[in-house]
Amino acid sequence: MNDVLVGRAMKKSFGQTVALGGVDIAIQAGEALAIMGPSGSGKSTLLHCLAGIMKPDAGEVHLQGQRIDAMGERKRSELRRTRFGFVFQFGQLLPELPAEENVALPLMLGGVPRTQAVRQAREWFGPLGLQSMETRRPGELSGGQAQRVAIARALVSKPAVVFADEPTGALDQRTGHDTMRLLVEATKHNGASLIVVTHDPNVAGWCDRTVEVRDGQLVSGVAA
Amino acid sequence: MNLALTWRLLKGGGRRGMLGTWLTLAAVAVATGLLLFAVAANFAFHDRGERGAWRNPVPVESGGVAVEATRRDFVRDQAITVVDLATLGGEAPAPPSGLPRFPRPGEVWLSPALSELAAELPPEQLAARFPRPAGVLGDEALVYPGELVAVVGRAPDDPAMKPGSAEDAMFGLAPGRVASLAGTPSRDATSYQALAVVAGVLMVVPLLVFGGAAARLTVARRDQRLAALRLIGATPGQVVGMTVAEALIVALAGAVTGTVAYVLAAPLLARIEMQGGPWFTADVFPPLWVFAAVLVAVPLLVGLSAVVGLRRVVVSPLGVAKRETPPGLRAVRVVALLVVLIGFPLLSRKADVVVIGTALAVAFLCVNLVGPWVVSLIGRITARAARGPARLLAGRRLVDDPRAAWRTVSGVALTGFVAGFVGLLSPALDQAPAGPHELRVEASAGQVEQVVTQARERLKEAGLTATVKPEDSVVIATVGGAADDATVDRARTALAGLVPGRTPTSFRDDMRSAEQLFSDVQVGTIVVLAVSFLVAVTSSGITAMSSVLDRRQTYGLLRLAGTPLELLDRARRAETLIPLTVMGGGAILVGAFCALPFVLGSMSPVGVVTLGGCVVVGFAGVIGAGALSRPLLRAVTEDPAPRPD
Repeated sequence: MNDVLVGRAMKKSFGQTVALGGVDIAIQAGEALAIMGPSGSGKSTLLHCLAGIMKPDAGEVHLQGQRIDAMGERKRSELRRTRFGFVFQFGQLLPELPAEENVALPLMLGGVPRTQAVRQAREWFGPLGLQSMETRRPGELSGGQAQRVAIARALVSKPAVVFADEPTGALDQRTGHDTMRLLVEATKHNGASLIVVTHDPNVAGWCDRTVEVRDGQLVSGVAA
Repeated sequence: MNLALTWRLLKGGGRRGMLGTWLTLAAVAVATGLLLFAVAANFAFHDRGERGAWRNPVPVESGGVAVEATRRDFVRDQAITVVDLATLGGEAPAPPSGLPRFPRPGEVWLSPALSELAAELPPEQLAARFPRPAGVLGDEALVYPGELVAVVGRAPDDPAMKPGSAEDAMFGLAPGRVASLAGTPSRDATSYQALAVVAGVLMVVPLLVFGGAAARLTVARRDQRLAALRLIGATPGQVVGMTVAEALIVALAGAVTGTVAYVLAAPLLARIEMQGGPWFTADVFPPLWVFAAVLVAVPLLVGLSAVVGLRRVVVSPLGVAKRETPPGLRAVRVVALLVVLIGFPLLSRKADVVVIGTALAVAFLCVNLVGPWVVSLIGRITARAARGPARLLAGRRLVDDPRAAWRTVSGVALTGFVAGFVGLLSPALDQAPAGPHELRVEASAGQVEQVVTQARERLKEAGLTATVKPEDSVVIATVGGAADDATVDRARTALAGLVPGRTPTSFRDDMRSAEQLFSDVQVGTIVVLAVSFLVAVTSSGITAMSSVLDRRQTYGLLRLAGTPLELLDRARRAETLIPLTVMGGGAILVGAFCALPFVLGSMSPVGVVTLGGCVVVGFAGVIGAGALSRPLLRAVTEDPAPRPD
């Protein structure tokens, strides 16, 4: 087994509401995993626990053998900055920055000099079909273009795992289809794993494997 | 329908929406309170001038019903205003308010404070100067509570009332015939009123900017929602109506709160000493119509600013929803400031106060107009030169919304203008020479020797060791030994009336009115700066919090992606400090430049120190106010799943 990210017996409650009721999950290197489920089922909470955004009340999360749920906020922030990438449905781009600086930002946060970070960022624009979009601001990009910039930003720092929360939720079907294809291909091309949270079976269809969450429990695991 | 929907949206804004509403309300309350203070100060000086007018007679060429003279006497380190009155035989003129009746010859009416002091000190130090007290003056006759005033009744042929005596502008007015005791506000009083107008402009302009910024707080939080309303077909009129309604509701509540706060603070404000004393509490209460006007004008101003702020949404609903690159600000703004700067030196000290006030207000507004343009320029330079993410973010944000950044620093920048302006105007003061106490009194020609002899006799009778000698027409009595204040007051009392209508004074006494002016300019400067700083710091604090709320989604996502809170804070600080440094410094220079036509002689060290102090306090205040929003930043970025509102 070549598991990159492992969650064991994860529990998380918000007041009286149980969001995760003891979930076990693992994702292998280079694998694309879809987490499905209806609204309020706990799938976003599962993603947040795996990504170190929130700590589970009980259970453990390991990244390449290193336990991350026990880390302090500062360490987990650093981990998210260096080992994880994120693609979300809304507003993941900073509206003030042009596209290339949005992509370069994670590198700069990691201490890479600005000119080098921007040069590295520009390399992503061609493969993702974003030629000549480098200096445009997010408001001047279409929804699909903005998501591709977000994919570039998620991958630019060579993460181990990319997390995507409803990445096509704000796109039409065709653009969503193209975006998912690019997301999966680019992630795999970089040797990263992908975890996609979605309620759309078409989106899940792009992944190697799908798991379903209901009432905080993993109810099925379907190989694609 | 609009109002009901607005109310519903206002109430349904959620915890953070309500926080924004409270911030706006607080901003409007502070602005209203300070605006009332700035306006009330003008009325207060006017009232003082009117109450003291009876001591500043308007002489008539011929006729007249009475003779009136004023002079200054001194006790301890305080001045006494002595008013000598005599009827010209006919019916006595109506006494001024606070004086029960026109004094008969020999009668003395004392102000309550002087009466108490006369009873408290040994008679040979004060009371003997006013031997026949007939009663106590009412407050209506006093410029300020605790003022030392004596009204002395004299016969019209009393030597002290002899018309044509040399006028001594520093210490009063020579006897003159008057048709009534109505008088007119003194030159001092009108000068103070003029200064109050200038101070009012200096305080009101930042307040108006602040009021506008408060309105923008409301709009900044609402523009997304209102843009959405436009997208679904709301007419510009409906959008404007809802914005105005929301801004008016919040602003009215803020204006009422500010008014109540001002009323509660009025007794404290009345303790600020000017022209030698504090204020009657009634002085710092402007007429009721002023309260009513402020309660109407402030919400209207906020509503108007809200409409202007929403122009982009109304014109183009997609403008806000899509976050396009904002259009660059036009350099014509700089031209406006340059025109004013070129025009300002053409004014002189003799220019009418209304002209100076208007020019000052225009210069002020031009600084405000140029501010966002310069901030945008600074942003471009910062972004281009940035190597790290904090400066890059700061620079890009400055370019993205220079007006927002200007709102944060405008308070201090405009305060810098005030500091630059009044800092240079603070006068420098000569020091009193050390040495024995000398009392001087000018004698009429040919009477010098007689006055010298009488002075020696009087001082000897009073048991004082003193040498008396003439110097031209001035008789100088040097009180021997280490004379203390009590001894000097005994000498003053002994020499009282030596030369009719004249008071023996020391060098220190001669300096006292200059000292008073110096002290008043300092107090005035401090009050104006305190108000400006309060505006600046409150403005930056509220704007910083509002900015965190507005950008909570961006900040949340950045933290979620692993950006340290410190870096976000650093970016926020840079976003404020970079324009603050440039704009604050620039505004001080513009203020100092505008003050140049009015600077008498060399620059005062006190003014420069005041200026330096302002810079330090301003920067510390803004940084401190910004730091207060850090817990809010932490709180809003802890939300793990940011969603657009």
